[in-house]
Amino acid sequence: MKPPLLAALLTISLCAADLTPAQQKLNVDSFEYAWKTIRDKMWDPMPAGVDWKQIHDELLPKVQSAKSMGEARAAMRDMISRLKMTHFNIIPSDVYETVATKAKGDGEPGFDLRILDGEAVVTTVEANSPAAKAGVKPGWRVVSVEGKDLEPVLKKLSETYKETTTRELIMARALLAGLSGPRGSQAKAEFVDGAGKRVPLEVELVAPRGMESKFGHLPTQHVWFESKKVSGSGYIAFNMFMDAGRIAPQFSDSVQSCMGAKPCDGIIIDLRGNPGGLGAMSMGMAGWFVSKPNQRLGVMKTKENELKFMVFPRAETFDGPVVLLTDALTGSTSEIFAGGLKDLGRARVVGTRSAGAALPSMFERLPNGDGFQYAIANYISEGGKPLEGIGVIPDEEVKLTRQALLEGRDPVLEAALAYIRKQKDQK
Amino acid sequence: MKRNRFLRITLATAIAASFSLFAADEALPKPETIIDKYIEVTGGRKAYEKHKTEQATMSMEFVGKGIKGAGTRYADANNNVIESITLEGVGKIDQGIFNGVVWETNPMTGPRVVTGSEKADRLRDSRFNGLLYWRELWKSAETTGVENVEGEDCYKVVMTPAAGQPETNFYSKKSGLLIKRARVVTTPMGEIPVEVFTKDYKEFDTLMVPTRVLQKMMGNEIAVTADAVKFDVEIPAGTFEPPAEIKKLLAK
Repeated sequence: MKPPLLAALLTISLCAADLTPAQQKLNVDSFEYAWKTIRDKMWDPMPAGVDWKQIHDELLPKVQSAKSMGEARAAMRDMISRLKMTHFNIIPSDVYETVATKAKGDGEPGFDLRILDGEAVVTTVEANSPAAKAGVKPGWRVVSVEGKDLEPVLKKLSETYKETTTRELIMARALLAGLSGPRGSQAKAEFVDGAGKRVPLEVELVAPRGMESKFGHLPTQHVWFESKKVSGSGYIAFNMFMDAGRIAPQFSDSVQSCMGAKPCDGIIIDLRGNPGGLGAMSMGMAGWFVSKPNQRLGVMKTKENELKFMVFPRAETFDGPVVLLTDALTGSTSEIFAGGLKDLGRARVVGTRSAGAALPSMFERLPNGDGFQYAIANYISEGGKPLEGIGVIPDEEVKLTRQALLEGRDPVLEAALAYIRKQKDQK
Repeated sequence: MKRNRFLRITLATAIAASFSLFAADEALPKPETIIDKYIEVTGGRKAYEKHKTEQATMSMEFVGKGIKGAGTRYADANNNVIESITLEGVGKIDQGIFNGVVWETNPMTGPRVVTGSEKADRLRDSRFNGLLYWRELWKSAETTGVENVEGEDCYKVVMTPAAGQPETNFYSKKSGLLIKRARVVTTPMGEIPVEVFTKDYKEFDTLMVPTRVLQKMMGNEIAVTADAVKFDVEIPAGTFEPPAEIKKLLAK
C-alpha cells in the first residue's frame, strides 16, 4: 500500500516552471477569491491590525507576475500569514487532492501515535487490533512507512510549522494518514521496540474503532466512547464531539454513575487526541459540572453576531473534582470545553498545551486547484483570552514520555489521580 | 427595431415610475385589514375556530449541508405543544409547552426550561390559532410600506410585542398570503436575525397551510417541508407531558 499523504508531502516540489496565461489568470482569480472571502467573512475589519486592502494592492502584482505555481502560492500564503491565525491556509493542489483521496480508505492499523521529543511514538494499541496481534506495543517508535524513512519528513514538517501550536497535530495527523488506506490492505511500517531493536511489520488495515456516524456532507466518522472507574474516580474518554444522540447519553450515564449515595472521588475526562466536533455538545456536557446558572464557556464572534456558549446546569450536578486531560491533539470543541471549564474554575487541566485550533473553518477549492481553508469566527474563552494559536494551557503540565509508555504507565493520568486523591485527603 | 425596443423600455420605465409615484401616494391598508385578509384567504375565521387540535409530520434539511431530519408536531387549543425533530448525526430534539411551561431537550445542549423573553416569544408563536388573537399577542401593528419579496409586491407589517423585538411580516398584495417574516430570535446564545419564507400553500381540511418553510439564519438555510397536516385528531393523553429530566429541573 502506498501511503497517500505521506507520499505527497515527500514529493512537494518547489521547482519553477513558466506558467501559461491561462494558469496566471487562474492564480489571479484564486488570489482575488481568497482575498474577498476573508474580507467578507472576517469578524474583524482590521485583522491583526492590518489594512486588508493595502495587502491586496501589495501582493496582487506578485501573483500576476509569478513565474510558477510556487511563486503564486507563496504570495497567497504571504497574504494569509498577515492574519497571524491558524485555520487560514492555502493547500497545494496535490496535497489537497491526496487528502480528498484519503477518504476513500478509512482502514487503520489499530494504534495511535504522538510526536514525543520529535519522534513518532506509539501511545495506544487497541486490544485485538491487527497492530496488537502483530505485537506492537506503546512506546515503540515508528521509523519508516512503506520503506520511507520518517526522520526527514518529521524534520521538514517540524520546520515548516515551528511557529504554530498546531505543529504536533499536523505531524501526527500526516503520519496517521500515511498509515491509513483501504480496509483489508496492508500497511508496511518499521518500528523500534523498547530494546532498540528494529521491527519491520506488515499490519492489516481494518475499520477504525467505534461506530459509524454521518453528519451532513462530512465524511463518515467512527465515534467511540469509553467509561470506567479508576482508583475510585470516574474516567471518561471519547474520540470526538460527534454523534450527539449516542455520545451525550453515554456521557450523562457515566457522570451519573459517579453521583448518588457512593460518589466517585472525582471525574477525569480524557480529551487527548480529541479533535472536537459539534460545538454545542460542550455546553450540554459542561452542564453536569456547573450548578450556577447563566455561566458560559466563552463567546464565538462571527461577522454578523456573537454566540455565547452557555452552560445549562442539570437538575443535579457532579460537584466533586473534575480533571481534564489535554495534549497537542486536543482541538476545537475539546478546547472550548476544557478552556471554559478551566476559566470557570470548575476543572483542573492536566497534560500538555492543546492545539490552539478552536476556530470553525471551511475548505474550498480555488480556481487554480489549490485548497483554501478559512475561519468564519473567532472564539474567546470565558477567561477573556482567545484559544486560537495559544491553546488551553494546563494547570499542571505533564508530558507523556516514551519511557513511561514502555513501562506501561500513563503519567498524565497518574497526575490527575494524584490531584483527586489530594483533594479527597484535604476534605 | 432597436429604437422601438428602447421606446418600449422607456415607456415601461415611465409607466413604472408613475405607478411608483402613485404607490407612494396610495394610502397603505391598516394592519388589521391585511391580517384579516390573510385569515380570509387561508380559510376564514370559522375554519380556524372549528379546529381544536393539530398534528403535522415534517421533514427538514439544512440546504447544501446534507443534514436531514424528520419530525412531528402536536398542538391543542389549550396552547400545549410538542415538536420532535430527529436530525441525522445529532439525535432527537424536543421542544414543548405544557400548561405555560416552555421546555427543550437537545442531545447537544441538554435539557432546559426556557425563561424570559425567549419564553415570551415561544408562547406567542405557539398560541393555538394565534392569528385570530393577534391583538392580544402584540402591543401594536403598523403597515410601513410595500416591498418586493421574491418577485412579489408585499405589504410590510411591523408587529411589536409588549416586550422584546418587533418582527416584520410581508403579505402578498396580490394573494394576501404571508410570504416572509423577518425577526430576531432570542436564544440563550444570543439574538439571532432570522428570515422565514413561507411557500407552497396547500389546503388541509379547509385551511391553507404553507407546506414549505425556509429559514435563513447565520449563513444556514433550513428547509422544513410539511408532509402532512391533520386537524382535530385525538392526541393521546400524556403527549404534552415534559420528560422526567425537565420535571426534575422544574422541581429544583
